[in-house]
Amino acid sequence: MAAPMELSCWGGDWGLPSLHPESLTVMAYAKFSGAPLTVNTINNPWRAPKGDLPVLVSEDIVISQPAKILNFLRKQKYNADYDLSAKQGADTLAYIALLEEKLLPALLHTFWVEAENYCSVTKPWFASRIAFPLRLYLPGKMSREALNRILLTKGGPPLYSLTEVEAQIYRDAKECLNLLSKRLGTSQFFFGDTPTTLDAFAFGFLAPIYKVCFPRVQLQEHLKQLPNLCRFCDDILTCYFRLTVSGHSPAGQDTADANLQKLTQLVNKESNLIEKMDDNLRKSPQHPPRKLTTLKLAAGGEESSPMSRLSP
Amino acid sequence: ATLCFQAFLQMCNLPIRVICRANAEYMSPSGKLPFIHVGNQVVSELGPIVQFVKAKGHSLSDGLDEVQKAEMKAYMELVNNMLLTAELYLQWCDDVTVEEITHPRYGSPYPWPLNRILSYQKQWEVRRKMKAIGWAGKTLEQVLEDVDQCCHALSQRLGTQPYFFNKQPTELDALVFGHLFTILTTQLITDELSEKVKNYSNLTAFCRRIEQQYFEGHDKDSSTIAARSSKRSLLR
Repeated sequence: MAAPMELSCWGGDWGLPSLHPESLTVMAYAKFSGAPLTVNTINNPWRAPKGDLPVLVSEDIVISQPAKILNFLRKQKYNADYDLSAKQGADTLAYIALLEEKLLPALLHTFWVEAENYCSVTKPWFASRIAFPLRLYLPGKMSREALNRILLTKGGPPLYSLTEVEAQIYRDAKECLNLLSKRLGTSQFFFGDTPTTLDAFAFGFLAPIYKVCFPRVQLQEHLKQLPNLCRFCDDILTCYFRLTVSGHSPAGQDTADANLQKLTQLVNKESNLIEKMDDNLRKSPQHPPRKLTTLKLAAGGEESSPMSRLSP
Repeated sequence: ATLCFQAFLQMCNLPIRVICRANAEYMSPSGKLPFIHVGNQVVSELGPIVQFVKAKGHSLSDGLDEVQKAEMKAYMELVNNMLLTAELYLQWCDDVTVEEITHPRYGSPYPWPLNRILSYQKQWEVRRKMKAIGWAGKTLEQVLEDVDQCCHALSQRLGTQPYFFNKQPTELDALVFGHLFTILTTQLITDELSEKVKNYSNLTAFCRRIEQQYFEGHDKDSSTIAARSSKRSLLR
C-alpha cells in the first residue's frame, strides 16, 4: 500500500542482523510494526545519501536518523505504539533518554575507544567490510568521533583523566542496566506482551553488548547477570529475526543453514562408514568394536584416515 | 539550575542562603554551578548534592519502589537531555539570542576585552558539544519541537496529580520545577519557548504551586519575577 521502502545499514555478525545500535533499532521497529522494508547491508556510509547510516529511502524521501525514521514509519501507519496509553508513551521517551545518556557512552567506549577491543575486534571487522581505501580512514574516524562524544558530554571536571571518565561511564551504564532490568521485571516486553518503540531501542543498545565477543567484556558480564534482559534479547532474535526470507537473511540464518548442511554431511559420512564397517565386520570378525569411537571422532574431519584404518 | 537546588533543599526542609558571586565557578570544586557550602564541606552538582543530603538523613525518594525509582531516574535524564540541551542551544547557538542577551550577560562582571574572550570561548565549547551529540544540525524549530515533545511527556506523566509521584515531592519535581520556571520567566528575544510550556496548563499550575509552597515564605522582598531572573543570571 505504501511505496517500497529501502533501509541501508551496517551488516551484522555473531548472530545479530547488524552491529550498529541505531541500525538494529530501526530493523527491530520495522519487524515489530510489520513494515515491509528491504534491508540492504552497505558497508560504505559515504555511498549513503546523507553520509550516515542507517538511512531509509522511500521514493524521493531520504531520512537518516533513527528517531526520524521511526516517525516516518509511524506516519505511514506502521505504528508499534498503537496500544500504548499516553503515560506509557511519555515513559518511552524518558527511558530512551536514559538509554542515550547512560548506556550509549559505555557502548561507544566498549566498541570504539577501549584499545584492546578496538584493535582486535571492531577495527578488523569494519575494515574487512569497507572497501579499500576507505577502510584505512573510516574506522579511525569513527573511533575519534566516539571518543570526542564521550569526552564532551561526560568528561568535564571533576573528572580530569580518561580513566576517571571511563570509570564513571561504566558505573552509569551498569546502573542503567539495573534500572532497565527492574523495569522489565518478568514481563516479556517493556509494556506487556507486544513490543513497542522502547523495546526496539532497548534491543538496539543491548544486543551488541550481549552478543559481540570482545576481549574486555565488563559490560557484557554485568548484562549476563541480569537474566531477564538476556532473555529479552534472545526472544526478539528468535521471534523476529529468524523468520526472514533468504533474500536478505541475517547472518544468523546463514550460519543455521551452514550448520544444517554440515550436519547432513556428517550424517551421510557416518552412514557410509557404518555400511563399510558392517561389510568389513562380516569379512573379518576379529576387528574389535572400539574402532567405532575412532570412526566417530574422525568423521568430523577427514574421511580418508578411517578408511585406511579399516582396510586390512 | 540553581532553582532546582533551592527547590530540592526547600522540599527537604533544609534552610539555605543564596549568595551571588562573580567567581562562583572557580570556587566550586567541579567548576560547575551551583554548589553548596555546608560547614567545612563543599559539594556541587545535583547528583552529589542529593547523595550528600541523603547521607545526612534527608531523602525525598525513600517512599518509592524500585520500578518508580527507575522511572524517576529515566525522567530526570529526559529533562537533562532535552530541556537542558535546548536551553543551552538557545543561549549559545541561536545567533540572535547570543548577540543580544547571552554575550552581554555572561561577560558582564568582567572588563573589556576579557568579557568578549570568555563568552566566545564558552560559545565555542558549547557548539562543539552540540556538534558531538548531533544537535548542531538542528534548526530552532526542531529544537522547539523537541521541547514541546518533552513537555508533552512531562504533562502526560504529571496528569492531575500534585507531584510526579503522587503525594510527595521528589528530586524529579525539583528538577522539573527549576527548568520550567527558568523557561517561563527568563526574557528572551522571542517568547516561543515559554509559549510551548504555557500550552500545558498542568505544568504551569505545578510550577505555581511549588513556588507558592516553597518559595513564598523564603523570599519576602524579592518575590518579583524580574529580580529572581537577574539574580539567577549572575549565578550562572
